[in-house]
Amino acid sequence: MEEYKVVGKSCSRRDALSLVMGCAKFTDDLNLPGMVYGKILRSPHAHARVASIDKTEAEKVDGVLGILLPEDVPDVLFNCGSSPPYPAYVKDERILTAKPLYAGDRIAAVAALTPKACEEALAKMAVRYEVLPAVFDVRDAMKEDAPLIHPELFKSNVFKKTEMKQGDVERGFQESDYIFEDEFHIPSVQHVAMEPVSCICDYSREGKLTVWANSQVLFHDRRILAEILNMRENDVRIIKPFMGGGFGQRQQLHNQPVGALLSKLVGRPVKIINTREEEMYASCVRMSCICRLKFGVSQDGRILAYHVKVYGNSGAYCTHTPIVLGSMSKKYQYHAPHYHFEAFSVYTNAPVAGAMRGYGNPQLTLCREIMMDKMARKLGIDPIKFRLMNHVEVGENFPGVPFTVRSCAIRECVKRGEEIRQEIDHKEVFLPKDSNTVESWGVAFGCHASGTTDNEGMSSSAVLVHDDGTMTLLTGTSDMGQGSETAFSQILAEEMGVELKDISVTAADTSCTPYEQGSFASSQAYVGGNAVYNAAVDAKDKICSVLAKYYGIEPEKISHKKGVFTVKAPEGDIFLSLKECMAKIAFGKEGTAIIGSACYKADRSPAPFHVCWAKVAVDNTSGVITLRHFIQVADVGTAINPDIVKGQLHGGTAQGIGLALMEQIEIDKTANKPSTSDLLHYKVPTSLDMPEIHVDIVKNSYEPTGPFGAKSVGELSTVAVAPAIVNAVSNATGENSNFPTPLAKVFLLGGNREDFFY
Amino acid sequence: MGDGRIRIKFELNGSERQIDVDLSDSLLDVLRDDLGLTGTKRGCDRGLCGACTVIMNGKAVNSCQIPAMRANGKNILTIEGLAVDGKPHPLQEAFVDEGAVQCGFCTPGMIMSAKALLDQNPDPSDEEIKVALSGNICRCTGYVNIEKAVRKAADDIKSLDL
Ligand code: FES
Ligand code: FES
Repeated sequence: MEEYKVVGKSCSRRDALSLVMGCAKFTDDLNLPGMVYGKILRSPHAHARVASIDKTEAEKVDGVLGILLPEDVPDVLFNCGSSPPYPAYVKDERILTAKPLYAGDRIAAVAALTPKACEEALAKMAVRYEVLPAVFDVRDAMKEDAPLIHPELFKSNVFKKTEMKQGDVERGFQESDYIFEDEFHIPSVQHVAMEPVSCICDYSREGKLTVWANSQVLFHDRRILAEILNMRENDVRIIKPFMGGGFGQRQQLHNQPVGALLSKLVGRPVKIINTREEEMYASCVRMSCICRLKFGVSQDGRILAYHVKVYGNSGAYCTHTPIVLGSMSKKYQYHAPHYHFEAFSVYTNAPVAGAMRGYGNPQLTLCREIMMDKMARKLGIDPIKFRLMNHVEVGENFPGVPFTVRSCAIRECVKRGEEIRQEIDHKEVFLPKDSNTVESWGVAFGCHASGTTDNEGMSSSAVLVHDDGTMTLLTGTSDMGQGSETAFSQILAEEMGVELKDISVTAADTSCTPYEQGSFASSQAYVGGNAVYNAAVDAKDKICSVLAKYYGIEPEKISHKKGVFTVKAPEGDIFLSLKECMAKIAFGKEGTAIIGSACYKADRSPAPFHVCWAKVAVDNTSGVITLRHFIQVADVGTAINPDIVKGQLHGGTAQGIGLALMEQIEIDKTANKPSTSDLLHYKVPTSLDMPEIHVDIVKNSYEPTGPFGAKSVGELSTVAVAPAIVNAVSNATGENSNFPTPLAKVFLLGGNREDFFY
Repeated sequence: MGDGRIRIKFELNGSERQIDVDLSDSLLDVLRDDLGLTGTKRGCDRGLCGACTVIMNGKAVNSCQIPAMRANGKNILTIEGLAVDGKPHPLQEAFVDEGAVQCGFCTPGMIMSAKALLDQNPDPSDEEIKVALSGNICRCTGYVNIEKAVRKAADDIKSLDL
């Protein structure tokens, strides 16, 4: 493999120093002249009609500048889910509503001089609600007599069916020797990004809108905002300051439409910051779902048929749900000549389901990998061997996916992980069989995509080459902590043959960075990276053609490799560094401005892969599960920045541990709203909950269509974490033990699963 | 607005400060909104995430839970006060070097918790590091590199002292 100078090398996040010094500015750290605060009045009921609102007392609160009621805002339906404009995104929500569909829905909004005045005013708003019956569980929502959530749009709460078919699944089952079936109820979790959803909206006198927000998808936000506010896209400018995590939560608009209208109303910039409680119940959650899986397997352990049925709980609005469900179908990494995937998007009055790390994949992989273990056990085949013998290889396609796998190092992942596991086992003696605590390992495989799997991945970049040979990369990427700006700088530096310090980055400002589909679908390294790479190539081509003019020769006589431009001049070869080139041409006879630019439209979405191992200890008396070790080995193609990739693997592991053992949004069925709306009741892993973590990246994987061979990592990192833990617990205890953790109960109790799902 | 104002005096990052605060203000409100020290973050405002951690009289505290009045007469250190003559503190350097910063929102709070630990216990065990950081939530890093950074800073500080 080619040796790179910058790519493949670790360096810390480019702006890490500002962050550790406390001078990096996040949205809430910005204060504009004249800026005031906004707050949203949210429905306390999961389903209701607003009978009346009286704002008289609220308006009298000292410092209140303006109040918006549903009748004061444009009555347009929109979908806040910021993705390419897919028809599947039902437009079903309003900026403010008089008919709240979940506890947290936006009823009214206030702007005031201080946050305290906002709160006081909200407390003084007199709203009378006519409470309507609510449903939280998809099964209840699908009943004949269920209250309809969107009667004006759909005559059923099941509002979309997504399907994918290959072969004839029924025939496949007939031809199979064994049939395995199971049903899983996956609970909902929340992102808990540490920085709450934040925005500052400034509607100028000229009718232009500027929004500072921690958004993953600036350009889609812009499109949707322009549409609902009836503006031209270019009159809306979105800027992303430093951003404290995202994990999918910010792949949609949150408070920006309200903020924009408040700003227009009061003629001043308005800042709206979610409280942590609003984050938990009134932003969005990861979709909960019921998954039914059925496998047909031959006697020798080959999967012949696979049928999946998923009922996804969309909550009150559509946002991303149909696409989340659809993308689940494309992450099935094993063979199945006969494959049928069916998914149903279901409205309920639960918190709205949005995008979250993995976009449906963690939910279905959890079910599937638990079944892979069960099937292997029944067939008497080693679980890793069973997976490998069914695994898709290079040159083959995932069932139902139109493009061919070009890189897959799953076997190397297994090999490396097993080495680590053996080292651990070598050091630590397993507890004796008869002890009260049982220890065991569990394994799971996973994969993801590099960008959306529907050929919609698109990114563009521009490179300004300055006269001293340094460069500014203009990119729309939203670095939310994953390090995309750093990785892009490395790609650009590598291709231009310069040092990292020669690159500066201007990112995430719709007024001066070119279109980028946004930071979601793990698209940055691959889709964004390819755009940066192509923009670098374009910049070099432009330099070559200007150089050709300068020397009066054909452009073909100039070439570039590893930072050296070679000019085949009549008097002999001339070798120039980029700096020397720019010195010659920038202020040459004609002058020149070098701007390399490119757009990359992906026609595929290569899967990265990983294998996870968990070692648990289960106390037989108390049922307490202790996670001792977690191993994750990934195939991400070339790791542009190995330390950043490992950081992603660490973080994804922590979130998977949360899903498996700690986290779950619960609905209080008496109050009809989530009872887990703060960090006291909703526990995320802290340093004390973490096992010893061992991650590695396999070295011999290269994705031929990726920039320098790269694939993605961001979402992959969490996909197969939870099933490895559940499988370890199963192995330690057998299937029918009773455990205090929500997930273990869901999967291992077998019987009463009702309580753990809505 | 508020329930009246009161003047407090305290030492902030090495210099004396005097400021009028609202009785209902938290120390975090005063630091961020009145003094413009936005390095200290607000992640929950409920004492449950640690993003707002500062050091008060040598102890790491959640500034969102400290009524501003209680800062009267105290010695407060925030993330902005760690550098000496513009040079980052060894903890700040170690966080950069060990890749302990992803989004960085939890970072100031983490560093202040770690600083309070190392001031008390210059050579903490891994377990002591975990305990000291357990009130600070990080959703990005899985704590792996953060713990490494604290370990490294402890070593660096020791070698500086020698
Ligand atoms: S903001 Fe103070 S602990 Fe979360
Ligand atoms: S680095 Fe993002 S929360 Fe810690």
